[in-house]
Amino acid sequence: MFGSFLKTSQVKSPWLMHFDCGSCNGCDIETLACLTPVYDVERFGIINVGNPRHADVLVVTGTVNKRNAVILKNIYDQMPSPKLVIAIGACGCSGGVFREAPNVLGGVDKVIPVDVYVPGCPAKPEAIMDAVVTGLGKLKGILEAS
Amino acid sequence: MIDAYIGLLVLWPVAAGLACLVLRAPALRSMLVMATAAVLAAAAVGLATQAPLTASPAFLASATALHVAQAASFLFPVYFLLMGLKEKHPLVIVFALLQLGLAAFGEFGLAAPAEVKTAVVCDGLSLALVLVVSLVGSLISIFALPYMKHHEEHLHLKTSRQPQFFMILLAFLGFMNGLALSNNLHVFSAFYEATTLCSFLLIGHDQTADAKKSGLRALWMNSMGGVFLHAGILLIQKQHGIADIQALVSPALWTGTTLLPLALIAMAACVKAAQLPFQAWLLGAMVAPTPVSALLHSSTMVKVGVFVCLRLAPVFEGTSTGRVLTLAGAFTFLAASALALGQSNAKKILAYSTAANLGLIIACAGIGTPVAIAAGVVLMVIHACTKGLLFLCVGDMEQTIGSRDLEDLRGMIATSPVTALAASAGSMAMVLPPLGMLVGKWAALEAAAASPVSMVMMAVGSALGVVCWVRFTGTLMSGVSMGSKADPAAHTSSLSTGPILTMLAGAVGLGMAAPWLNAMLLPAGVGNALGGGWGLMPPLFITAMLAWIVGIKVLGRQSQAKLATPYIGGLPSKEAGSFVGALGRNWTLSEGNEYATEFFGEPKLTKLAGVVAVALLLALVGGALI
Amino acid sequence: MNLNTFYLAVAGLILAPLVGGLVAGVDRVVTARLQSRMGPPLMQPFYDVGKLMSKVIAPASHWQGMFVRWALVASLASDVMLAAGADVLMCFFVQAASASFVALGAFCGNSPYSKLGAQRELFQLLAYEPVFMVGILCMAKAAGAFDAYSFMAAQGPLLFKMPLIVPGLLFVVLVKLRKSPFDIAASHHMHQEVVRGVYTDYAGRDFALLEIAHWADVTVVLWICSFLWATSPLTMVVTAGLFLFAALVIDNISARLTWRTMLGRVAPITLILATANLVWLYLE
Repeated sequence: MFGSFLKTSQVKSPWLMHFDCGSCNGCDIETLACLTPVYDVERFGIINVGNPRHADVLVVTGTVNKRNAVILKNIYDQMPSPKLVIAIGACGCSGGVFREAPNVLGGVDKVIPVDVYVPGCPAKPEAIMDAVVTGLGKLKGILEAS
Repeated sequence: MIDAYIGLLVLWPVAAGLACLVLRAPALRSMLVMATAAVLAAAAVGLATQAPLTASPAFLASATALHVAQAASFLFPVYFLLMGLKEKHPLVIVFALLQLGLAAFGEFGLAAPAEVKTAVVCDGLSLALVLVVSLVGSLISIFALPYMKHHEEHLHLKTSRQPQFFMILLAFLGFMNGLALSNNLHVFSAFYEATTLCSFLLIGHDQTADAKKSGLRALWMNSMGGVFLHAGILLIQKQHGIADIQALVSPALWTGTTLLPLALIAMAACVKAAQLPFQAWLLGAMVAPTPVSALLHSSTMVKVGVFVCLRLAPVFEGTSTGRVLTLAGAFTFLAASALALGQSNAKKILAYSTAANLGLIIACAGIGTPVAIAAGVVLMVIHACTKGLLFLCVGDMEQTIGSRDLEDLRGMIATSPVTALAASAGSMAMVLPPLGMLVGKWAALEAAAASPVSMVMMAVGSALGVVCWVRFTGTLMSGVSMGSKADPAAHTSSLSTGPILTMLAGAVGLGMAAPWLNAMLLPAGVGNALGGGWGLMPPLFITAMLAWIVGIKVLGRQSQAKLATPYIGGLPSKEAGSFVGALGRNWTLSEGNEYATEFFGEPKLTKLAGVVAVALLLALVGGALI
Repeated sequence: MNLNTFYLAVAGLILAPLVGGLVAGVDRVVTARLQSRMGPPLMQPFYDVGKLMSKVIAPASHWQGMFVRWALVASLASDVMLAAGADVLMCFFVQAASASFVALGAFCGNSPYSKLGAQRELFQLLAYEPVFMVGILCMAKAAGAFDAYSFMAAQGPLLFKMPLIVPGLLFVVLVKLRKSPFDIAASHHMHQEVVRGVYTDYAGRDFALLEIAHWADVTVVLWICSFLWATSPLTMVVTAGLFLFAALVIDNISARLTWRTMLGRVAPITLILATANLVWLYLE
């Protein structure tokens, strides 16, 4: 019983950390908007934390470039496993319009494994919340398989 | 047998000290010091098996001995006077002259007091002080052997001054034992002056300008204490015609008469115990080599003050003098704790904390109920162990890295793990339940039920102490984002780690044993009133032991683990203690403690606290006068 | 110690952290409702702890695991002491030891934010400890003894004898629920001031145990507050509930303090009030 409680808890308490990897701030504003009382993500147990050591879900906005790739990797490494990564917006998914710029590597998945992609320029808050819930479903599948 | 024990306790250290002066070879000196430590420890334990006891050994009871004591009351002030004239220090001169005047008045102007029947009365309280002096003091003397060698190498002296140093150090222990055991006020005051002299010589030992200044400050303050003490003794002689300490402390003797003499003696005790506003001499004592400050702070000198107060405590119970003394002690506890919090100099933290804890003991003495006295005795013994340990640790770390600033001691656990861990354990033993210091504080708080204001001061002081010591420990154990600074194998000697570890065992062991210790070490005539109240302790000990076992197991498991990279916002760099920041540069991280000097700044707070403390002491004497 | 005390102690050991967890849940739901949100399920704190339990992460210091266990034992011990009717002042000291261990573990960590949090945690300790202690002294004076059963057996509600300690106790509840000061930043809601203060370096299972210790702490504090009206178990629960609700309302309608304001203003004011009350009790 205790074991199943622990498994249930893992999908009921996603603490997310938001990392701006070089976004134009459009997706950042939408991400923060979904943490406001209007959308009330705390319903799902979601809490926005500022510390990778406490985070379960890494929400990344913006393109990855040569300078911040290593920081992104570092933050990802500092998170406890199991962990989810959600790439937000066109830039996060693929590099977006900055894709061909000389200093840009591309989407978040060039550096770390991404679980859920949220398209849009910018992505909508509803889509972001949906992505977290989808990610949790994926996590649940992994936990049940194990 | 008892006479032999007492002889060994008092005379052996003095003789061994003189031998140190004559036999200058370091090897011989080491042997002498260790032999003295062994003899003192054996004799103290021997005495403890016989206690409580009374005795009249010839060297303390004979007519010659009393003549010597009388002569001493002239000789010490004369020596102080000469020192004052030599150094042109007006305060020393004034107080030496006052002491001389009082001595002459006592000799020629007053009838001799009734003869003291027993020269030595050793009850639990005396035994507590003897044990502290003989065990803690001896350990500190052993620690001094490697320390002074290293110290003199550092100073590049042509001729070693260690013989003088160890002579005074050892003699000091003998005088302290004499002071604890003697039952005659005049013999007591002779030993009292002897400790003043020893502390003056020891503080000034390095003969630098700073050391001299501090030594003279200790001298004038303590001879001022001497003036109070002599005045008190003479008044007792005039009022009651007695010089027997045991007869003196019966409350029946003092019903209906003024407590002024006792208030004066308590003032003297406050000076010795470095209570505010007399804390300056103890702070000055920091300039001396570490063993000296350890000795002055933990086992000797300052303990005289609290010993005297605890001795007089039964008389203070329920009197207004006692109430004012409680207030004064509690105020020192509060103010000195606050001052300690604002310091970054590790030795100053220790010094202020010493003054604070002694204030607590004096407050206990002022309350004077059996519970309070019990708490005071427990605090006295355990404080000696714990503070001695902390001083030795800080001294050892200071020799390792060449600084005594808390900021430089950051992360010492990586540099010298044994000492730093011992220091951490010692500083936690100052504040954690169920160890002795906290148990004493708790008992004091509950015993202070008659004095709400002192209870509040104790409560605030206790919180300040917790913050101060947790920060001290935390700084020593600070994580490794800063990298290590010094060579770990810089110097280690079994003679310095030995005493440190023994003291650690003592501090923690005695801390755990506080309730039982307390039953053993009570002044004569005070029942063990805490029998019921201590009942809480055994379950707490068991819990603490369980926590300890679980913690150590987890520590063992985690100490193999690879540590996470420090979270420094974004990107820690390869080098410890730096991160990659703006301009792609490596930025060094610097850390520092918050000392909140706007609340706990030394200059402002010292002045403010000084004024209040002076007012309280005036009230102490003035209240008794009216 | 008779068997009855033993059962009570065991009940305290098991129930107190659970009650603390529920309090945390109520805290989050009520706060959400005050902000016209739905808020998380009531059991959310338990889910959080369950999740943290099953996380795998490298420690930030070799020492933290030890300090976390010590803090947990100390916090639980203070609950057990209250349940078994032991000395309340000693219970308070044991609980303060738990807070010290949390700070020490944070000092041992390798992140500078963790150490910063530890420093502030200590100053926060300095601000609320004295007034809490004086509150307990007031209760002990009125009850005539220091043990918890005497507090509960006192004639009539203690509240009327010590109205002036209420602001102090409320302040303690606010601090213990991690509502104020904001620059310590360990609360769930407004937690991004300086990363997560004293909790920054704790993670995974260590953090979960720390959270349980925190629940136990909250129970102790609310329990001691409930002594103010201890005529029956129901009034005690209501009193504790009122303190909790008042703390939540204050948190939601007012700005949080920095530790400097807390130490320089709030602590002295509440302490003076409580001291005045203590002196009253003596003059009576």
